[in-house]
Amino acid sequence: MVTIPVGELRVQSRPNPGQAWLADLFTSLPALADNSVLAAQQQRCRQALAGEALPSRRQEAWRFTDTSAITAIPAQPLPRQAAAALPAPPANVLRLVLAGSGDPLQGVVLPVGLERLEAGALEALFGEALEANGAAAAWPVRLNGAVAGQVLALRVRQPVPTLLELVSDTGDAAGVQGLRLLLVLDPGASLEVLEVHRARGANLTSVVLEARLGRGARLRHGLLAQGQSPQPAVAERPTAACAAPVLLHHLAAVQDPDSELELIAAVAGWGLARLEPLVLQRSGAASTRLRGLQRVDGSQVVDTHSRVLFAGPDGRLDQVHKALADGSGRSVFNGAVVVPRQAQRTDAAQLSRSLLLSDRARIDTKPELEIVADDVKCAHGATVSRLQQNELFYLQSRGIAADQAARLLLRGFCEEVLAELPAPSALWQPLALLMGEEPAP
Amino acid sequence: MIRPDAPVLLEICDLRASVEEQPILKGVNLTLRAGEIHAVMGRNGSGKSTLSKVLAGHPAYRVTGGSVLYRGDDLLALQPEQRARIGLFLGFQYPVEIPGVSNLEFLRVATNARRLEQGLEELDTFAFEDLVRERLQVVQMDPAFLERSVNEGFSGGEKKRNEILQMALLQPLVAILDETDSGLDIDALRIVAGGVNQLASADNATLLITHYQRLLDVITPDYVHVMAAGRILRTGGKELALELEERGYDWVDVEIERLEASELEALAAAQGSRTPAEVG
Amino acid sequence: MTAAATVGDLVSQPYKYGFVTDIETEKIAKGLSEDVVRLISAKKDEPAFLLDFRLRAYQQWLKMDEPDWASIGHAPIDYQNIIYYAAPKQQAKKASLDEVDPKLLETFEKLGIPLSEQKRLSNVAVDAVFDSVSIATTYKEKLAEHGVIFCSISEAVKDHAELIERYLGTVVPSNDNYFSALNSAVFSDGSFVFIPKGVACPMDLSTYFRINSGDTGQFERTLIVAEEGASVSYLEGCTAPMFDTNQLHAAVVELVALDDASIKYSTVQNWYAGDENGVGGIYNFVTKRGQCRGDRSHISWTQVETGSAITWKYPSCVLQGADSVGEFYSVALTNNHQQADTGTKMFHIGPRTRSTIVSKGISAGHSSNSYRGLVQMGPKAVGARNYSQCDSMLIGDQAAANTYPYIRSQQPDASIEHEASTCRISADQLFYLQSRGIGFEEAVSMMVSGFCRDVFNQLPLEFAAEADKLLALKLEGSVG
Repeated sequence: MVTIPVGELRVQSRPNPGQAWLADLFTSLPALADNSVLAAQQQRCRQALAGEALPSRRQEAWRFTDTSAITAIPAQPLPRQAAAALPAPPANVLRLVLAGSGDPLQGVVLPVGLERLEAGALEALFGEALEANGAAAAWPVRLNGAVAGQVLALRVRQPVPTLLELVSDTGDAAGVQGLRLLLVLDPGASLEVLEVHRARGANLTSVVLEARLGRGARLRHGLLAQGQSPQPAVAERPTAACAAPVLLHHLAAVQDPDSELELIAAVAGWGLARLEPLVLQRSGAASTRLRGLQRVDGSQVVDTHSRVLFAGPDGRLDQVHKALADGSGRSVFNGAVVVPRQAQRTDAAQLSRSLLLSDRARIDTKPELEIVADDVKCAHGATVSRLQQNELFYLQSRGIAADQAARLLLRGFCEEVLAELPAPSALWQPLALLMGEEPAP
Repeated sequence: MIRPDAPVLLEICDLRASVEEQPILKGVNLTLRAGEIHAVMGRNGSGKSTLSKVLAGHPAYRVTGGSVLYRGDDLLALQPEQRARIGLFLGFQYPVEIPGVSNLEFLRVATNARRLEQGLEELDTFAFEDLVRERLQVVQMDPAFLERSVNEGFSGGEKKRNEILQMALLQPLVAILDETDSGLDIDALRIVAGGVNQLASADNATLLITHYQRLLDVITPDYVHVMAAGRILRTGGKELALELEERGYDWVDVEIERLEASELEALAAAQGSRTPAEVG
Repeated sequence: MTAAATVGDLVSQPYKYGFVTDIETEKIAKGLSEDVVRLISAKKDEPAFLLDFRLRAYQQWLKMDEPDWASIGHAPIDYQNIIYYAAPKQQAKKASLDEVDPKLLETFEKLGIPLSEQKRLSNVAVDAVFDSVSIATTYKEKLAEHGVIFCSISEAVKDHAELIERYLGTVVPSNDNYFSALNSAVFSDGSFVFIPKGVACPMDLSTYFRINSGDTGQFERTLIVAEEGASVSYLEGCTAPMFDTNQLHAAVVELVALDDASIKYSTVQNWYAGDENGVGGIYNFVTKRGQCRGDRSHISWTQVETGSAITWKYPSCVLQGADSVGEFYSVALTNNHQQADTGTKMFHIGPRTRSTIVSKGISAGHSSNSYRGLVQMGPKAVGARNYSQCDSMLIGDQAAANTYPYIRSQQPDASIEHEASTCRISADQLFYLQSRGIGFEEAVSMMVSGFCRDVFNQLPLEFAAEADKLLALKLEGSVG
């Protein structure tokens, strides 16, 4: 709370709803009392947030993103609830259920090559990738720091043949949960991860995932974020009674040379989802592959803000981001690629393709290329349109009805990204979600 | 055509050159007189392409020893563009694409730079169009290529024809054609070779760099040089090329090994005879 | 010797327009206040509506902040340390050129813009602006025969007040941004063009801006109106002497195109850019906007930006009329320590509106060159189309090329396509040209102008050649 000196002629500003919301949240969520890295972080973040409002559109990074969905979520910790019924994992998949509290590794036998990160390493590496990506002070990161009570930290020692599935299902519970993850891949190690988030109630899931890839390491990370918002007719303006779920997902990766990182994200159904994948190629010479697919409908907002920084030569980036905007939804993509002087021979390509499916929906796309090195190949492209009329016509001329033809084309548009998710993702029926259809029972 | 009294156009003497500190040319000797056609043959990595680049003045190659005289003057002291203006031409193995720069404009600027050097007057756009249309015949090239950007989107054969067109416009005294036959089908090869033959005269000399006999079936060389490990190992008439075709290059390896062994010995002997003070 | 290794030796070609004309100038005291605004208006003997316009803008300006979002940096500008009005000491406008101070005529002649009857350009009418006032306008009578009005904006305020009142500030409202507010409060002179219904302007029109004083800001104002079916091609040129201080140039240009009208606006901007260490040069903070008010109207911006220490400029089109067309063709070259943040905004409001953006940025030396653009499809822009292409060429590894294309769409039946690429002049390309007898510098300038060809093709013929030469000159010594 800012105190105004007595006698000074200033009108006290109205209490910021964001600040009040945060204050309530922190009151209802007792601070950690131990001397862990989490507790130290929590204190820092709560302090930093106390004086700060919610991100507003006056900030360039939030210019197109309405954050009012956040304060519509009850400012309380997510109540502990019975484990949701989840489809059984396929063979060769290790499932860890994340709930923001309790140890997800409790009673779990980890496969060879995958182990709990030792305490000393956790101490040393916690927050490092965020710091390196310049993201430690980002609002979603601070919020996560202020609420997360548990960190899942894993070390990958060698190639792990088992897929690691991380699942959080908040169901229709009301409140806020913070999930914190840290993956450390030793040189030459490899891991495939599928992170699944499901929510349908007035709850907010905040995720911060840090990943360190040693020399020659490989990480393939699929993110499937399935929200279910109340029907648009009910929720023109989000209120606590019918608030749609919120996802704030922040991923900070640091890559050593010869490492390969693949991030494949498919997001739909959230009142507000903000994804911030940040990648630093610490000495260049690594390979980064980003695939994104997002869909908005009703009054939903999905915003992806990606940033890839090449801090050394010979780095590669291959990025494709796709968006579908229906209803009165709002889709935002901001993709920054930064190529400083030392990043000679960088080869970076970024493509953004958006389909606008309704005349009440909106799409905002902003690629950002910042280049100082001269011997680089950097190309980007962006298109916004509706479905290609000639493609539609072609299908129709073969006897396919217009709406069916449109669905076929949309399906193709989505499949291009979904096909890259780790195979066990099929269990969660990502296509139905992206197509705005009810998943099959 | 060999005429012992013909003027010497190019005299390469013990030429040594390296790229990125790696010695590639290790003492090349070669003399080109007016009217002669020379062929330099050799395996990949023998240094033949390096020789052509060094002669044209490519900035990535560093001359570490020897000399090259062009009509009696030091060639190596000149910038690449000066070499071109006084009549040295390199036909590239991989002609570079230059988007945005019109081929016609490029040819005109290059031709005028050469003409200026020769004391001729510059051609205006109209006069040049006439000239270039006439020279297009040499390589049977479609005038449409003039309107495109330099080599951009040209097929391999079209690029090589564009090289010979440039040669026809610049009228060099010494033309070095680096693997001009590579990537050409038989028809394109005939057209390109026909162009080279038309342009060869008693006043100029041609240096063909190739590793196949098939180019030499259509352009008859006066001399054939075999290059290996950065030097010219053997020189003969056109029959040497046939011999190479028949015997392959394996014998070259044997000879090189022998040569390098004897050089090492000589080097060791020379060092051994020095006093310690000299070595220090 | 690779191109990359040899780049960086930056010796800029001396700026050949950097001389100062020694002429007696009437200046008002430094600083900005309501009184200064009133004084400027009084000096120009303006009608009440214009004084009101200025005062309103001044009040708005006081409440605004300088924009900070562009990729540019400079020491804070002290707006109280600028002279807001400077004019050569003579009567503002002479009946005939014979009465104009010969020094001024000489100055323009030296700049390649002869004004006297015998020498003037045969196919272009020129309005010459020196510091805050217009010196002379050629071919006025001939244009008048066609009903075309081409004069300084000060004259227009007197002779065509109704047109000024009707159109001034309708495209760029004075509170549009910080610099447009400043300009609206203190603008001194500039050009006014009016092409009446159905008239195709018989010759190109051109304004040449010359900043001469070292401590004066230049705030010119240009207004071009093309009525139904009218068309005009307008050129703008600018230079300034070399000073080791920075001068502020904050112009506003407004274009209005009614049904079926067409305006082509070309700029070759060569303000003094500062020296090779970044000392001195013009701060060019300009608001240019055209409004395609009428159906099927057409506005085309072509700019070649080579000068100024800092350029902050986004010539834009508001595509209101159905089937209207906006175009933006730009070459921006920065060298040494220049900074450019430039691009365009295309607001698609009407149905089936179309826009094309071609931007070529060349960054050399320690400069920074940013393309910043906005393409916005409004809810009614059914069937609208945009195509944008932004290419950057980097010369040397100390220069920055940034691209920030904002794309917004609210209309499913509109399509936006954006492409961007980055390239450099490769050592192999240079060698290839050299090996054909083309000198190093000429090879570079050939490739640079090849890179810019799509834009140069849009310039009027004489300007295209000029622009080509200008680029070659600016780059001299930056490669090699």
